[in-house]
Amino acid sequence: MVSERKVGSVLVVGGGIAGMQSAIDLAESGFKVYIVEKSPSIGGHMAQLDKTFPTNDCAMCTLAPRMVDVGRHINIERLTYSEVVAAHGEPGRFEVTIRKKARSVDPEKCTGCGECTLHCPVRYEAYYPSLDVVEPELMHEDWEKVNTILNRYLHRRAPLIPVLQAINAEFNYLPENILYYVSRRLDIPLAHILRVATFYALFSLKPRGKHVISVCQGTSCFVRGADRVLERFQEVLGIGVGEVTQDKEFSLEVVRCLGCCALAPAIKVGEQVYAGVQSKGVEEILKGYTSR
Amino acid sequence: MIANDPHTIFVCQGTGCVSLRSSAIQKALEQEVETAGLAGSVQVKLCGCHGFCEQGPLVAIEPEGFLYTHVKAEDAPQIVREHLRDGRPVERLFYRDPLTRSAVPYYHDIPFYKKQMRLIMRNCGHIDPERIDDYIDAGGYEALRKALLEMTRDEVIEEVSRSGLRGRGGAGFPTGRKWAACRRAPGEPKYVICNADEGDPGAYMDRSILEADPHSIIEGMVIGAYAIGASYGFIFVRAEYPLAVDRLRIALRQAEERGFLGDNILNSGFGFSIDIDRGSGAFVSGEATALVASIEGWSGEPRPRPPRTAEAGVWGKPTNINNVKTWAKVPLIIERGAEWFASIGTEHSKGTMVFSLSGKVRNTGPVEVPMGTSLRSLIFDIGGGIPGGKALKAVQTGGPSGGCIPAELADVPVDYERLTELGSIMGSGGLVVMDEDTCMVDVAKYFLSFTMQESCGKCVPCREGIRRMHEILVDITEGRGQEGDIELLEQMGETIIDASLCGLGGSAPNPVLTTIRYFADEYRAHILEKRCPALACKSLVSYYIEPSKCQACQICLRSCPVKAIGGGKDQVHVIDQAACTRCGTCFEVCPPRFGAVTRLSGMPVPVAPPLEERLVARAR
Ligand SMILES: Cc1cc2nc3c(=O)[nH]c(=O)nc-3n(C[C@H](O)[C@H](O)[C@H](O)COP(=O)(O)O)c2cc1C
Ligand code: FES
Repeated sequence: MVSERKVGSVLVVGGGIAGMQSAIDLAESGFKVYIVEKSPSIGGHMAQLDKTFPTNDCAMCTLAPRMVDVGRHINIERLTYSEVVAAHGEPGRFEVTIRKKARSVDPEKCTGCGECTLHCPVRYEAYYPSLDVVEPELMHEDWEKVNTILNRYLHRRAPLIPVLQAINAEFNYLPENILYYVSRRLDIPLAHILRVATFYALFSLKPRGKHVISVCQGTSCFVRGADRVLERFQEVLGIGVGEVTQDKEFSLEVVRCLGCCALAPAIKVGEQVYAGVQSKGVEEILKGYTSR
Repeated sequence: MIANDPHTIFVCQGTGCVSLRSSAIQKALEQEVETAGLAGSVQVKLCGCHGFCEQGPLVAIEPEGFLYTHVKAEDAPQIVREHLRDGRPVERLFYRDPLTRSAVPYYHDIPFYKKQMRLIMRNCGHIDPERIDDYIDAGGYEALRKALLEMTRDEVIEEVSRSGLRGRGGAGFPTGRKWAACRRAPGEPKYVICNADEGDPGAYMDRSILEADPHSIIEGMVIGAYAIGASYGFIFVRAEYPLAVDRLRIALRQAEERGFLGDNILNSGFGFSIDIDRGSGAFVSGEATALVASIEGWSGEPRPRPPRTAEAGVWGKPTNINNVKTWAKVPLIIERGAEWFASIGTEHSKGTMVFSLSGKVRNTGPVEVPMGTSLRSLIFDIGGGIPGGKALKAVQTGGPSGGCIPAELADVPVDYERLTELGSIMGSGGLVVMDEDTCMVDVAKYFLSFTMQESCGKCVPCREGIRRMHEILVDITEGRGQEGDIELLEQMGETIIDASLCGLGGSAPNPVLTTIRYFADEYRAHILEKRCPALACKSLVSYYIEPSKCQACQICLRSCPVKAIGGGKDQVHVIDQAACTRCGTCFEVCPPRFGAVTRLSGMPVPVAPPLEERLVARAR
């Protein structure tokens, strides 16, 4: 700053959470603030978040008051849907050229009633720029398998979960490239698919072994010593829960009740249930599956 | 002569018996019937769970009601030739009374069945779930006919209300009131859902019914849908129950073929269809609002209520959700009347309740008894008592949302009100029996680790609170408990119950609070003396070989997975306490006639005798 006196104006480029907070602070301390934002509205990426790290606060609750402040502040002038083209000068004397894009709506008159968006014939065109995602490639045979699955459930009103279940069963896990494809075909954002896929215990995002061993740790099995059975599997296979053996033969998982509680402890290899398993019987069971 | 009478051999194909390879038994029997030339008069059929899983695989001979237990495929020739051809039942395979050792040939004489009142399980084990005719012959779909053709919608709801039926899925909400609310709610179409997400570990009676008698559920749902005015239904089945899904698919197809489902059911003008939705492995998605989210294709997280699902459920439309057992009771109520149903049970809890008996009890399996039966009668008369001569310590009801009831209170008649008074809940009927070897702090910790993992994380009290309570319990069981922990647990538990979003957090502290209430001494022993009275908490237990009893047989020495046992031939074995991982193998393998390996807790391990005194003198 050249002088102590606060004069002139400040340009903030970008109307995200950081830009808005800066604009508010500057305006509060007496500057005239111009805030330039290239998208049609201030708010930025935070508006797309549900919760924010580390406090898990609701993003909108942090964001909304600042958007209102920026909108209302007498010392802030918003230049939305505008981009900085050039800037000349030095601290204290900048001259900035800004291109304002055509909005085709008169912001002075618009009350934000939302009526026109409802009637626009082009649906769901979000404003954020495309991310230029390079979709991982899909082998032809996988493509055919996935299409068969999709065709089976596309008529459903909520096809996602049955589709994921079928893919998980067919491929033993949910391969990334297939999820991309499913996202495009079902018109469901990948983020949503991943949220569902990580919520349910059934789905795996990592490849699993040829034989999936599920050791029940439900109550009845627990009181009859299922923890020891699990320990024994870990020892014999040399892997922990959720891991795959090096030869990709076995993966080890934990389930909560197989519905075979009367004959606890129970385990499942693939779809085959074994009842009354003892830790000393573990090797015997595995022998039946080891390919020689 | 028995050979010419028509007979049916029922081979149990419930989950328990299937895991014991009962499909091979069925094949062997079919073949044997063929070779014996009995194919004209003897039918071999599969059936769902009889409930007597402990004695499986089970084979029943109808119409007399003979029951064969622990059957193997090799027994097929004997059963067919001796029993069905020559009329001499195979005594060797009868159930044996554990006390008198006498053989019991018939079903209805076995105490396990005699003391039960099997209403919704009446068909389980007695019909082939894959044949609709079996169900119809047993009187099935009569109630549907009556409801659709002779009763108005209001009359059906009125009948169910008067019967006093309450939801069997957990909360025990009056079913008639629920239906009426959904019927009144504006919005079209309406949906009904059968909640078969049975997430409580240790409970599997819904599974048994789904597998053994799927039509009773379908019939109940159609009647309910008619009363409510719903046109679509969903059966939401757990991921872990593939067999149940297969049986339901078959049943749905058959019901449709016979006109019990579809556009114009029994020419009444009423149309209704059912879809199966499969869960994907999340306990919380059994909660009503989370279940709706699951069906809509979201992650199964609960949402705050109101609005209740009766007003805004699947796709915002009025939706009625009931548990498997609730639906299965509906046809009975319509058929036999509300008065009959209301005459069974206690003042506010009517009808029967299905419990799945499991844990440390001799006869495990799903059992059905009138409301108000005491725990003692359930465990000792039906369950046959505790195996191994151990004493009953506690009973856990209601799964991870329930509580532990101590043995002293085993005479209390069980119904919704009484269990709530005791700090537990009825839940969906899980009943896990615990004996003196079970540590109650460990059990509480176990349940919290379950709810901690299953919490969806949406609300803070449940996500963070349960995790912190679990940490405290881990500390207590590992010898780091501090004075004041009990009070802290109680305080946190109450806060979590009050502040959580859904029933998962709202009930998760129950196992801790009830064990503190009834077994506070055990908590104190862990905290103050670093002692686990049940000798179950690994960190507080040491294994010790008593030199005077050890016979140097080397069994434990060879079995020890970490080679922590020293000694040798004729040398008293000694456990290296530093190397011991406390896996308990030595304790298990030590021959009972020696009983040399003991467990110690809360006291120092005695020093091993000096080397020169370790020789085991044997009389030759
Ligand atoms: C965490 C949680 C899990 C639940 N899981 C089940 C379940 O697996 N099966 C079930 O029938 N009800 C379950 N419920 C109860 C349901 O929310 C609902 O009350 C029930 O399905 C209603 O049926 P009812 O009136 O026949 O009891 C659960 C509730 C909570 C809070
Ligand atoms: S608790 Fe293990 S099968 Fe039910």
